[in-house]
Amino acid sequence: MMISSLLCNDLCKSFGKKRTKKQVLKDLSFSVAKEEVFGFLGPNGAGKSTTIKIILGFLRPDSGSIEVSGIGAGLGEYRHLIGYLPELPFFYNHLTALETLMMSGKLSGMKQKEVKDSAAHLLERLTLSHATGQKVGGFSKGMKQRLGLANALIHDPPILILDEPMSGLDPLGRYQVKQLIRDLKAEGKTVFFSSHILSDIEELCDRIAIIHTGELLYSGSVVDFVAENQNLEDNFIDIIRQKDEACCVDA
Amino acid sequence: MRNVKILGFATFIEGGRHKALWTIVAFSVLLTLGNIVFTTMFSWDLGKVAIEFGLSAISFSGLLLIFFLGLKIMADDLERGRIYMILSRPVSISEYMVGKFLGLALILLFATVILGISAAISMSFVLAEYPGFVPPGFSWQIYLMALTCQWLGLLVVLAICFFWFSFSSHSFVALIFSACSYLLGQNMETLRYVIEKNPQAGFLTGQEWLVRLVSWIFPNLSLFDKKTVAAYGLAFSWFEFSLIVVYGCSYIGLLLFFSVLLFKRKELAA
Repeated sequence: MMISSLLCNDLCKSFGKKRTKKQVLKDLSFSVAKEEVFGFLGPNGAGKSTTIKIILGFLRPDSGSIEVSGIGAGLGEYRHLIGYLPELPFFYNHLTALETLMMSGKLSGMKQKEVKDSAAHLLERLTLSHATGQKVGGFSKGMKQRLGLANALIHDPPILILDEPMSGLDPLGRYQVKQLIRDLKAEGKTVFFSSHILSDIEELCDRIAIIHTGELLYSGSVVDFVAENQNLEDNFIDIIRQKDEACCVDA
Repeated sequence: MRNVKILGFATFIEGGRHKALWTIVAFSVLLTLGNIVFTTMFSWDLGKVAIEFGLSAISFSGLLLIFFLGLKIMADDLERGRIYMILSRPVSISEYMVGKFLGLALILLFATVILGISAAISMSFVLAEYPGFVPPGFSWQIYLMALTCQWLGLLVVLAICFFWFSFSSHSFVALIFSACSYLLGQNMETLRYVIEKNPQAGFLTGQEWLVRLVSWIFPNLSLFDKKTVAAYGLAFSWFEFSLIVVYGCSYIGLLLFFSVLLFKRKELAA
């Protein structure tokens, strides 16, 4: 039996009121097994970020439930088990990279010495050592993205939720992040990440979930999804098109 | 409590390194030192003018700091999604709000101390230069008590900002509501007095109950304004001072409590 790190059951979410109400998630269910790399795919506006925000408790679902390592949302604290990288990581511009990581580590319950060691190690791992004492406001987009990753990893969480971790990175940065995800998998971490870059998903993920307009279209292994002589991109486009056509027929 | 301290310290450092803080403080220091030139334009009550001008400059810069630095830090947290970095960790909304409040309160204290010193320098120069105009009951102790009251008044305004911010859809709306609440709180006592004593108070005549009701809801910010007391050297007992401190702290506590309740209902989809 698969041990789940993350379980989403029948999640529904809508925004707006009566007339302007828009349902963004419709009975979304999937599970992420322990120590696997799970890709969360979907076109823009599919509901990927909304799902992540619900998992982290920033948004409340209309219905449905979430479990992280067996702890139900609202029934216990599980945020210390998660390292989160938002799609656009923003930091306090006037704090240095080290101060930012110190704050995050301490907020996750770490001791001063532990955070300091972990921060130094992560800044080196993500080639940010030279910027340890620099204010984050002066960082490039790629540096901020890498600092965001360090920030997600500072407390050594067993589960990582990365929202578009490769966005805004140059090829070298993307290579670095891919390598980091591979290393994290080797270390036994569970990685849940959303991305538009399908080749990265194909390369890194054990399993995937595809959502479109808030509905789950596929959840399973990458190998099963990609038919012979086809690639993930072709199949992804096919499944989205089929869904759109079905919607047009229904309408 | 640990998280409150961490967030308070980070907010203090972030605000303390912000250009806006130093621009406002530098402007206000110049303003309070300009007191020396400004006061000599008067031909009487020079001591009173110097003290009132010094304390007014501090109050003005405190408001600028709240509206332009404090609200900006809060707005950036929410609108740019910086809050995700904090709330994706085991931090409660109440720890977040109280930590932010304490960090900003420290910035206001820091600014009040700097401006209080610069105002005191300009005041002591004027008082030494024109000893005939030193208010009879003037004491530095009352000046310090008035300064503390002013800081406390600023904290109440900051708590009002937090309250509006906790459920406003946009920071600009929170700014407008906060400014309106400040104006109401500052003038409520006078308005209440006018309505109760003047039978020809326009459309508010006979609406004493309404004005009284509003005055119970909004804080009486004029209580914290002790410029006149310091300038004229009027009696200001420790008892009255303590009552003002208790009133201020209770109001802040209440506003923060409601802010946390309302913020918990807010969905954080930046």
